[in-house]
Amino acid sequence: MYPDNRQQVKRWRTGRTGWLLGWLTLAVFVAGCGANGNAAAPGGASASASAAGSGGSVTLVIGAYSVAKDALQEILPAFRAEWKAKTGQDVKFQESYEASGTQARAIAGGFEADVAVLSMEGDIDKVKQAGLIRGDWKAGDDGGMVTRSIVVMGTRPGNPLGIREFDDLAKPGVKVLYPNPQTSGGAQWDINAIYGAGLKEAEEREGKKDEAAAKAFLASVHRNVESMDKSGRASMAAFEYGVGDVIVTYENELLARIAQGVKYDVVTPSRTILIENPAAVVDVNADKHGVREAADAFVAYLHGEKAQTIFAEHGFRPVKADVAAKYAADFPQPKELFDIGYLGGWDEVRQKLYSDRGVWYQVLAGQ
Amino acid sequence: MTNMLQSRWWSWGFRSAVMLYFAVLIVLPILGIYGQSLSDGWSALLGNLTEPLAWKAVLLTFKLALIATAVNALIGTLAGWVLIRYRFPGRQLLNSMVDLPFALPTAVVGLMIMLLLGPRSAVGQWADSMGFTILFHEPAIVVAMVFVTFPFVIRAVQPLLEEMDASEEEAAYTMGASKARTFFRVILPSMMPGIVSGSMLAFSRALAEFGAVVLVAGNIPGRTLVASVYIFGQIESDNPAGAAAVSVLLLTFSFVILWLVSYVQARRTGR
Repeated sequence: MYPDNRQQVKRWRTGRTGWLLGWLTLAVFVAGCGANGNAAAPGGASASASAAGSGGSVTLVIGAYSVAKDALQEILPAFRAEWKAKTGQDVKFQESYEASGTQARAIAGGFEADVAVLSMEGDIDKVKQAGLIRGDWKAGDDGGMVTRSIVVMGTRPGNPLGIREFDDLAKPGVKVLYPNPQTSGGAQWDINAIYGAGLKEAEEREGKKDEAAAKAFLASVHRNVESMDKSGRASMAAFEYGVGDVIVTYENELLARIAQGVKYDVVTPSRTILIENPAAVVDVNADKHGVREAADAFVAYLHGEKAQTIFAEHGFRPVKADVAAKYAADFPQPKELFDIGYLGGWDEVRQKLYSDRGVWYQVLAGQ
Repeated sequence: MTNMLQSRWWSWGFRSAVMLYFAVLIVLPILGIYGQSLSDGWSALLGNLTEPLAWKAVLLTFKLALIATAVNALIGTLAGWVLIRYRFPGRQLLNSMVDLPFALPTAVVGLMIMLLLGPRSAVGQWADSMGFTILFHEPAIVVAMVFVTFPFVIRAVQPLLEEMDASEEEAAYTMGASKARTFFRVILPSMMPGIVSGSMLAFSRALAEFGAVVLVAGNIPGRTLVASVYIFGQIESDNPAGAAAVSVLLLTFSFVILWLVSYVQARRTGR
């Protein structure tokens, strides 16, 4: 494109530099591939070699969703200490944090995580469908769920627009932010909450679950949406840059940001959805790496009191009743909290709301 | 004789290495996308393309990329002209800064636009008082596209200006042509191939821009969702065929553009 290049080519042609450079690039490329192939192995290899004897060390690969990062990074050392005291083994962690859906796809696609901590049931199911989880992971403690939260609204300090319920989002001039449920699986909770709140309201008014009314409600809120970001975090970043009046997101996300000193008012609507986040051992990988014991123990540990307390301190609602009781004051109980079962369970929600021509699509396309 | 053989081996080995590299890194993935788009058959491809949200995204992308390209064609030509024809302190520095948009991760560009043009910034407040919003609306997308495609036109025009024979210009003046006439009849035509090919590259790059745009566009389907973000959404919601269909549309279009560029250039250099 540039004449400079042509001159360079000429210069190269006379010397051997270009030729050498070409092969060098290829060699590096090939070596890089080889190294990459190996890189995946050591975790597994060293772990299986050492897991046989007690003492030594064991490496757990954790594939988690990004929101859980701060809490997990406190939980991991605590588990390491406990496991060391119990078995004499050193646990090393390889951690990866991604958006939940991306993480699920990565694990299903060959990222060899031993434990998956994801934001929703459907994402663990993706891993299960890839044949990596054998048993019924929901049969475990607390139905396989390690944390809870609810969908709330965050407003500017002092709540200048007087937002109380999801209905208020549909008022003219209110600028709303929520992430895109297509790019952020976790955002489906937000949409479910608004849709479900519409359904509840219709039920109170008309005595039956009127899906058309719920859809119309969702559409009326969507009309006020200013931006649908890639992820919940991106939405919060936009909000903090001054965009929008209200952000619809998880309670734990807002509490974590408030703990970091960012100013939000948390508005808990009276009708909203209960979020449950699962964690499961990825059987195939854990067995392959020979770390099943540690992996099982780690997931059990997440349900234990210590981990639950750490989760609670990071703004998650604990699943364990006794820990939840201790933190009850921090987490106001919405009057009409419903769970995914109210909407018919995840399978039906995926089918009805997020399928090809589902309710969400119709709302977007304005049908 | 041995010498001959050696050099023939050389050229054969070198050529096949390059071909292999090209095939593995460029051709295969692209063919893969075409294959993927047809994985559910022709009617599914057609269905994915006639999807209103998809073509609205594609149309919006085309429209905004065109605007961004027009801006760059104008400003880029002017900038190239200034950097070549004028001597002023800081010229070298400016000249080396032209390529920075290529070096900067596009997500950083997005973040910067968010900071500088957001509602809290001076520009954002000014736009607000004028009654329009930049961030999360079309203007922000155009700004992002202009930024990341900035170097193309400049870098395509500069060498042409440098190569230009000063005597042509002088001849025009000698024959009594005015400054404007000289510019439009002599200088502009010789810059034209650069402007055109630079613009086309800029246009196809703008079509595909993702990192910066995803941060500053509102990404609302049918309103502010561009094609690349639409594709990302389809991948994330496990619809690779839908993603591939729109990719194929963009790819085919970009291929045509790039082919046109090399055609224009071939004609210019007489090869």
